[in-house]
Amino acid sequence: MKVIEAKIVVLGSQGVGKTSLVVRYIGKMFSKHISPTIGASFFTCNINLENARVKLQVWDTAGQERFRSMAPMYYRNANAALLVFDITSVNSFAAIKGWVKELQSNVPEAMVLSVVGNKSDLEDLRAVQSSEAAQFAASIGAQYCETSALHDQQGIDQVFLNTAAALLKLSSSNLVSSLRSYDSADVDSTKIPTGTPTEEDATHTGKVELPAWSIDSIAHGDVQKNMCC
Amino acid sequence: MIPVVVKISKMPSLRIDQSDLKCKNGCDYFGNPQWQGYCSKCHREQMQRQRKAEKASSATLPKPETKKPDRGLKITSHSSFSKFEEKRHRQSETLKKANLLKFSVFKKSSTDDHEHSSEKRPPEFKIPPQVNEGMKRDFRMRFPQLAQSRSKEPSLAVDRDCRAFVNSFIMDVIKCTNVMTVDELSERVQRQYQRFMKHMDTSAHFSHVDADTKELLMDFVEKHAMTYLHELPSIVFSPNGTEDERLDRAMSERIQQLSWVGERHLECRLDMNHAECRQLLYKAISELLGMDSALSPGDKLARVRRCCRHVLRLCSSSAPASADDLLPALIFTVLKANPPRLVSNINFVTRFCNAQRLMTGEGGYYFTNLCCAVSFIENLTAESLNMEKKEFDCYMAMPASIGGSAWAAALSLCGAAREADEQRALAHKLRAHTRTIHERADLLAANAKSFEEQIAKKVEDVLAKTPLEIKPRRELPRIGKFKEISTAPLIDLGTSHAHGEPEPPPETKPEPQPEPTVPQEPNITIQASENEPKLNILGFEVIERQSPSKSPQNLDQTWDLKQTSSLELLTPSPLGFTPFDSRSIDELMTPDDFGADQLPPGLSNINYDIDLSDFSGDNSIAEDAPKSDPKDPFSPEALKKTFDPFAPQTSRGYEALDSFDEFSFVDQRKQETDPFEVVHRGQDPFSPVDIAKDPFFSPPKQSTSILDDNDSPTSGCLLPSPMQPQSSGKPT
Repeated sequence: MKVIEAKIVVLGSQGVGKTSLVVRYIGKMFSKHISPTIGASFFTCNINLENARVKLQVWDTAGQERFRSMAPMYYRNANAALLVFDITSVNSFAAIKGWVKELQSNVPEAMVLSVVGNKSDLEDLRAVQSSEAAQFAASIGAQYCETSALHDQQGIDQVFLNTAAALLKLSSSNLVSSLRSYDSADVDSTKIPTGTPTEEDATHTGKVELPAWSIDSIAHGDVQKNMCC
Repeated sequence: MIPVVVKISKMPSLRIDQSDLKCKNGCDYFGNPQWQGYCSKCHREQMQRQRKAEKASSATLPKPETKKPDRGLKITSHSSFSKFEEKRHRQSETLKKANLLKFSVFKKSSTDDHEHSSEKRPPEFKIPPQVNEGMKRDFRMRFPQLAQSRSKEPSLAVDRDCRAFVNSFIMDVIKCTNVMTVDELSERVQRQYQRFMKHMDTSAHFSHVDADTKELLMDFVEKHAMTYLHELPSIVFSPNGTEDERLDRAMSERIQQLSWVGERHLECRLDMNHAECRQLLYKAISELLGMDSALSPGDKLARVRRCCRHVLRLCSSSAPASADDLLPALIFTVLKANPPRLVSNINFVTRFCNAQRLMTGEGGYYFTNLCCAVSFIENLTAESLNMEKKEFDCYMAMPASIGGSAWAAALSLCGAAREADEQRALAHKLRAHTRTIHERADLLAANAKSFEEQIAKKVEDVLAKTPLEIKPRRELPRIGKFKEISTAPLIDLGTSHAHGEPEPPPETKPEPQPEPTVPQEPNITIQASENEPKLNILGFEVIERQSPSKSPQNLDQTWDLKQTSSLELLTPSPLGFTPFDSRSIDELMTPDDFGADQLPPGLSNINYDIDLSDFSGDNSIAEDAPKSDPKDPFSPEALKKTFDPFAPQTSRGYEALDSFDEFSFVDQRKQETDPFEVVHRGQDPFSPVDIAKDPFFSPPKQSTSILDDNDSPTSGCLLPSPMQPQSSGKPT
């Protein structure tokens, strides 16, 4: 069984619900025991796809504006990024655009981007039209999802699942050196770690609901010098 | 088989390739290990370049030894919370010492290297054997499944490969350290890591090792190589040619200046008044400070991870903490901790930690956060704290010792509280310990008591049993002899049987009653003790007077018996009476003069022994009776009978003593004055004769009686029988 290890970074302004998104996702996985020491800032999970397993390392980032300059340290060597914005806030959507530019200029390697419009439950207060967001996502080769950390478990799962699938695709294209993939000896699918997002076969859901993926959905950046502390 | 061999031969460190022999510069000449793998020409060029670089670096950088002390001073002078400061200072102090020591040694060898390298390679830098030993031990400890469970060969190969890699790795780094800049070195180290990773993936030795273990092995290798290299000064940790040391100082000063930055500036929700919060912060700070003392990048990362976990718990009072909370809290922690040599440590980890680990994983994430915190602190402005420029400047102008005193106080309080906690925990432990000790002591006492009781009970039991053995003997003979005796004296006295019989029983009965409880032992002991001294006393006297050695003893014994008033001795002695026979023979010599009555029995004894054994059953009664009869009539009949039976039977107080006194005196007088032997023999023989004759004839009876004595009930039946004949004999 093919195993891919990937690092995924969650970006977005403060207050868009990055944390609640992540907490919601982890919360389902660790519904029994969500240890405060693990926190919601970093966690790993295994997503089982049809013929591969993706080990995701999710790095949450601080959204405060003053920590903005530190972001490169977080997304360095990341293979995927979740760009989260608040559909009730135009500013947060504008910030996403800024993030994308930064990523494209700072990350030399191909990266899987996902644009996530959060707080879809607040339809009344919507400030960013989904068509607009989808259009933007398409323009940067990303996929667009709307989620609600309050109600919509399905959407959040979908985000991670899609990312995993895209990463699998990316790894098979051999464009990315930092994406570590290897063949695992333990084909035993019964021995799935607790991080598996869906207990009941992630495989078929992943297969059925996958959108069509092309190499276009992978962002390429120009090579620039990395910032480092 | 073949592919395996090929793979092994591909191992870089174990075999020299053709390409390795060429000059490292890539010119077509062959290189020489003496010239660090260059050809002679390239080596010279290389050396020149190196020297130039060294000069340049030493010119720009002040010597580390001179730099450090003032830094230490500054820290202590500005220290606001002393405990951490102390720790920090101590660490830097010890490290400085180590640095100075090693620095001089190592530096010397390396300069030697440059100067004399043309003619001879100075003694090759040797990796101390402790490294290998430590690795072996650690390997066995950390990978027991590799070291043991697998078949010997591959696991040994894994172990060996790891060590070989670490050795070559260290040598390589040390060789390159003078030639390369830090970044180049870092790259080289990373390539080494990758090489080892590749080696693990391809080598047959590692075919049975799963991916997770490989990661661990990687960490293991990294740890040991880097731990050793870390201790060498200026090789990998704040190496020459970098500004790490200067940056360390700058960072330390900066943090001190920013000590006024509080939780509200950073907008992190920390409650100084909350004890738990203080505790967590304290723990986080300790971990952060501990990072400097960890040697390998992996250990440093682990410290950072632990620190960040504390911080996470610190800010996740209600909901799980997110990065939004973590980073400010971590910045705050760093500000309060002011870890020593922070920049050097961070650079060390970023340069020489296995990149794979640093980029991914929890440790990597937290380390990234720490880097962010440090970078934030470096670039901290009024804007980043959301405050007025003026106010910020005002704060920055303030002496460092003033700001943050509240938190410093809180933390030192926390330290004290922690210490108190530790003390209390210790006290608790001690108390629990004492309690257990008390319990054990009680238990022991109870055990001792119960043991004592058991022993006492056993002793009682034994006593209860043994008295039964002993007493019946006494009682029964007594009763029997009492009957005789009582009858005899009574008869002598002229009293009727009817009187005699009732009288003795009361005498006998009172004895057994007290005896079974306690006095039995005393009785025995007394008897024994009485025996011995009397034996001695009398023995001396007797021996002095009488020539035959055995006879006096016999006499003494008989005396004793009489004196002690115990029949036991009488009875046992007859039982083990074989000597008595011989004595009787001896006596026979003397008794020749004495009495004809006894001679025949004495003489006959020898002969009879054999014969009597046959007879014994039948004749005993017949002979006993007649013999007892003559004795009775004999002059001391009553006396004798009082001797033998009285002493034992009656309580020592009365008759025994009386009889003893009288007779002993009498005897002694007789012994002294008269030819004692005659008198004595006359007396003795009677008792001996009684015994002697009895034994010969009666021993079977007595023995049976004794044997039966053991079975207490029958003894009553059997023992009387010997008496009966006598008693019957008497009446008849």
